[in-house]
Amino acid sequence: MFSEAAVREIQEIRAKYPTARAALLPAIYVAQREFGWLTPEAYEAVSDLLGVPKAIARGVGTFYAMYKQKPMGRHVVQLCTNVSCMILGAERLVDFLKSRFGLEPGGTTPDGRFSLVIMECIGACGTAPAMLVNDDFYENLTEKSIEDILGKYD
Amino acid sequence: MITVTINGKEIRLEKPVTVLEAARSAGIKIPTLCYHEQLEKYGGCRLCLVEVEKMPRLQTACTLMAADGMVVRTETEAIADVRRGVLEFLLINHPLDCPYCDKAGECELQDLVEKYGPTTGRFKEKKRKVPESLEDPVLVRNMERCVVCTRCVRMCEGVQGAAAIGVINRGGHSHIEPFSGGRFDCEYCGNCVSACPVGAIMSRLHRHSYRPWQLVSETVTICPYCGVGCTLVAQVRDDVIKRVVPRIGTPVNNGLLCSRGRFGYEFVGSKERLITPLIKKNGVLEQSTWEEAIGFVARRLGEIKSKFGSDAIAGIASPRCTNEDNYVFQKFMRVVLGTNNIDSTARTGYAGAQAFLENIFGQGATANLIPGLVNADAVLIAGGDPTAVNPILGLQIRSCARKGGNILTIGHVKGVRHYSPTELKPGIHAETALLEGIVTALRERKGLPGSIQALESKIKEIHRPADDTARTCGVTEKALASFVEALSTASTPAVVIGKEVIQSAGGSYNLLLLSAISYLVNARIHLLSERANEQGVVDMGCAPDLLPGSRPLSYVEFRRRYEAAWKVPLPEKPGMTIFDMIDAAKAGSLRALYVMGENPVFNLPNAKGVEAALRGLELLVVQDIFMTETARMADVVFPALSWAEREGTFTNMERRLQILRKAVNREGMEDWRIVAEISGNMGVKMHFSSAEDIFAEITRVSPLHRDLSYEEIAKSGIYPYKGEPLRGVTGDIKIEKTTAGDGGGLFLGVERPLFHSGTLSRRAPGLVKIYETAVARISPATAAARSLKEGDVVRVSSAVGSLELPVAIDLSVRDAVVMITNNFEGRGALSLMELVLEPILRAPIADKTAVTIEKVGR
Repeated sequence: MFSEAAVREIQEIRAKYPTARAALLPAIYVAQREFGWLTPEAYEAVSDLLGVPKAIARGVGTFYAMYKQKPMGRHVVQLCTNVSCMILGAERLVDFLKSRFGLEPGGTTPDGRFSLVIMECIGACGTAPAMLVNDDFYENLTEKSIEDILGKYD
Repeated sequence: MITVTINGKEIRLEKPVTVLEAARSAGIKIPTLCYHEQLEKYGGCRLCLVEVEKMPRLQTACTLMAADGMVVRTETEAIADVRRGVLEFLLINHPLDCPYCDKAGECELQDLVEKYGPTTGRFKEKKRKVPESLEDPVLVRNMERCVVCTRCVRMCEGVQGAAAIGVINRGGHSHIEPFSGGRFDCEYCGNCVSACPVGAIMSRLHRHSYRPWQLVSETVTICPYCGVGCTLVAQVRDDVIKRVVPRIGTPVNNGLLCSRGRFGYEFVGSKERLITPLIKKNGVLEQSTWEEAIGFVARRLGEIKSKFGSDAIAGIASPRCTNEDNYVFQKFMRVVLGTNNIDSTARTGYAGAQAFLENIFGQGATANLIPGLVNADAVLIAGGDPTAVNPILGLQIRSCARKGGNILTIGHVKGVRHYSPTELKPGIHAETALLEGIVTALRERKGLPGSIQALESKIKEIHRPADDTARTCGVTEKALASFVEALSTASTPAVVIGKEVIQSAGGSYNLLLLSAISYLVNARIHLLSERANEQGVVDMGCAPDLLPGSRPLSYVEFRRRYEAAWKVPLPEKPGMTIFDMIDAAKAGSLRALYVMGENPVFNLPNAKGVEAALRGLELLVVQDIFMTETARMADVVFPALSWAEREGTFTNMERRLQILRKAVNREGMEDWRIVAEISGNMGVKMHFSSAEDIFAEITRVSPLHRDLSYEEIAKSGIYPYKGEPLRGVTGDIKIEKTTAGDGGGLFLGVERPLFHSGTLSRRAPGLVKIYETAVARISPATAAARSLKEGDVVRVSSAVGSLELPVAIDLSVRDAVVMITNNFEGRGALSLMELVLEPILRAPIADKTAVTIEKVGR
C-alpha cells in the first residue's frame, strides 16, 4: 500500500494528464521509489490508484529499461558505456567497480549498498565518461572520482 | 458513393470502409495477421501492405480508408518481396514445431508462410527460448510461438473488458503475459484463444488429442448454461466433444463465449453419467432395464392416482431441458395424470418476477434484445453482477460504457468496476429505501407520463425525500443526486434486474420500485436468468397456473382451447408450486413426485428440510444425467440424454427461440421420450417421433409459438414473440412491504460465480479447476472483527444447517454478509437458507437468513 504522501503525489500527477494511462510512467516511478523496486504489489497499487488494469501497468513498466524489475541495492549506479564514454575509458571504470566494490554489471553488492546498471547514452558525450547514482548526475569520471563519489552514498 | 479500383476491378462502396474491407467485399484476398474483424485496427504485422497509385510507399490495407478514385494493387512483385521479408522476420523466433503444435492445420502463420513465405531463412542466430507455461489450469501459453500481433490483448481489453493480459518487455523479448506471469486469474472467457492466430495461447482441455482436420463433425448448437443462449460450435472427434468454439455473426454472442460456454462442456463425456435405469430394491438402487423401470413407474403412478387422486402427484420440470421435454412433461401431468401440480425452479425468482412485471407492462416486458444494451445511454444494475450471471449480457453493458453510456449500480458490482460506474451502496437491507428515494426524486424531476394508471397510483404513494434516503441508506445526497441526474437525462436507458432484489423480504415491492423507475425514465427491462431454458420452461406451461404459451389457466376460453387440442377435460384448479409440493410431501398429502432434470434437494432452500419431506413420498421418480442428491433418494432413476446428444429448442431470456442440435451420439432416451414411454404404458399414446414433431404440436396449441417451424428458426434463431401483448394489464398490482434494517449480525448471501452454474458445472473439470472449492466470502471488516485470516476454516451456521468452509477475504463483499456459492456437493449455500416465501412473488427470501461464523481451524 502507498503512503498517504505517495497517494497525494500520484493524484497530483494524474491531474496533469488527460487520461489515466498517460500518467502511468511518472506514477510507476513513485511506486518504484515507495516499494524499492517494481514488485507485483507496486503495480497493483498503481493500478488501483489510477484505475488502469494491472496487466497493462506491468506491460508499460517492463517496456522501459530504467525501471527496476528486480530488487536492487540502496543506490543504483548507472554507467554509460556507449561510444564516447567507451573511448574515454568507461570500460576501465566497469573493471574498477568490479575490483574495488565487487560490483558486476547487472549485479548488486553483497551488502546491498550498490547495484550497477550499464546504461545507454545519457547525452553527456562532451563530458564523458558519465554516470547516474540514483538521480544524481556525474561526469568526467576517473577511477579516483568514482571512489570519492560512491563514498558519499551509504 | 466511393469507387475504388483494386487489381483492375472497380468496386463501389456504400459507406467508407478500409481498403482491406473493400477488397474482401469484392472477394479479393489480402493476407493479414494482426487484423481481426472484431478488434480495433492495429496495422502492426505489415502483411497487408498494398500498392496505391500516387502514394510513395506501400500502405497497410487494414488501416487505410478507401478513397474515391483510389487505384490499388495487392499482388505485385514488390509486395510479394515485402511479405516474404515480413514472414522471414517472424520466423526468426517462431519455432518450427508444427508437427506437435495443436494449431497446425489452422495456424494463420503456417498458411501464410506456405503461400507467401520464403523457403529458407537467412538468420543464423538462435531462436529465443521461453518455457511453455502450464501454470494455468485451462490455458497454456507458448510464448516462443507468439508473433506479438496483440490480437489477444486487444480482445481481452477492448472486447471482453478484462484486461488480464498485456505485452511485456520490448522488441525481440516482447510476449504476452497475464499479470501474475503464470496463472491467468482472469474471467477465463477464452476469447484470447479464439483470437490467437498461432499456437501461442491454447486451451488445455483435450490438448494433444486431436488435429484440427480430424474434427470432421461440427455442430452448431446453443449453450446449456445461462439464459443468454449463446450459439456455440461443438467440434467432435470419435463422438467426443474436443472443443467448443464461437462463431462470428451468430445472434447474441457474435463470436464470443464465456468460461462456462467454452470450458464447461466436458460433463457430457463424464464417467459419472448415468447409464442404465435404476430401481430401488430393499433400499438400494439397482440396475434395471428400460422396460422394467418404465413399467414400474407407469404402474405405481396409476395406482397412486386411483388410490389418492390426481392431486397426490406432482411434477418438477427443468429449466435445463428443452421446450419439447417440458411441453411433453406438462402435457403428461395434465392430460394423463390429471393435475396442474407442475412447476420448476424458475419459481425461485424468474417466473414470479416476470409475471409481476408483465402484469404491469404486458407480456413481453422483459423480452428485450441483449445486443440492444450496447446502444443504451444509461444502464441501471440492481440485484446482481450481470457479468457473472449472464456474462455475454455483461459484455454488452461494458461495451455500452465504452461508448460513453453511464453505468449505474445499486451496490458494488464487481464486473463493471473498471467502467467508472456511479455506485450507490446501501447498507444491508436498505436497498428498498434507496429505490424509494430514487423513485421519489425521479417523479419530482420527470413527472408522471400518464399511461399506466395502476402503476401511477402506486407511485403516488411512494415518498422518501433525499435527506431521509441518504440517512437511511448510508449514501450521500450528492451521490444520490448525480445518480438520479444520470438516469433522468438518459434517452435510451435500460434496467437490469438480478435475483438478489427479487429473493428479498420486500421482493415484490422492490420490483414495483424498479418498475416505477423503468416507467418514469422509459427504460427497457432485462431480467437476468441463470438457466438456459428458464424462460422456456415457463412458456411451455410448466407452472401450476399457466398453460403453454404462458396462457393463464384461470381463463376458461384458453382452457377450452387446450382441451380441444388435447381432447381431454383439463383440471381447473391451479396446482401446487414447487414449494407447495415440498410442504405437501411433508404433510403427507403428496404421494408421488416426478422430477425431470432437476435437483430439488440441492437447488431449493433448506436442503435437509426438502430431503426429509421427500423421504415421506411413496414414489419419487428422477430423470437426470448424473446421480444427484435427489436421484440418490429416488425409487426409480432414469438416465437421460444430455444437451449435446439430442435436438430441441431453448427459449432465451429475450424470448428468442433457438435450436439445439445433436453433437454426439449416445444410447438412451431424451427426457421427453422417457415421459412419452411412461404415458404410453399408462394407456395414453403420445405420437411423437422427434422433437420437431413435438414442436409442431406446440405451434398448433400455443399462441406464443403460432406458425413457427424449425426451418424458420434455423434460418436466424428466431425471436418469436411478435410484440403483441397476449395478456393485458390486470390493473391490480399487489405488493408486500417490509421494514428495513435489523441491525447487527451476519446474513447469508448466495454467490453466483462466473465459473459455475448449479450442479452441471461440478462435472466439468475445466471449470472445477478454475474455481475448485466452496469458500465463505467475507469482507475485510467482517474478517478483522472476528480475527479471521484468509484460509481459516470456519463453521457457518444458520437455523437449518451448518457448513465448514475456508474463509476467503473479498473486497467486493458487503460487511455483514457471508457469501457462499450453491454449486459444490454437500456445501451449498441453499442448505443454510430457511425456506420463507415472499407472499406475492412466492419466491424464497434469501437475504434474511441470519448466520454465525466461528473459527474451527486453519
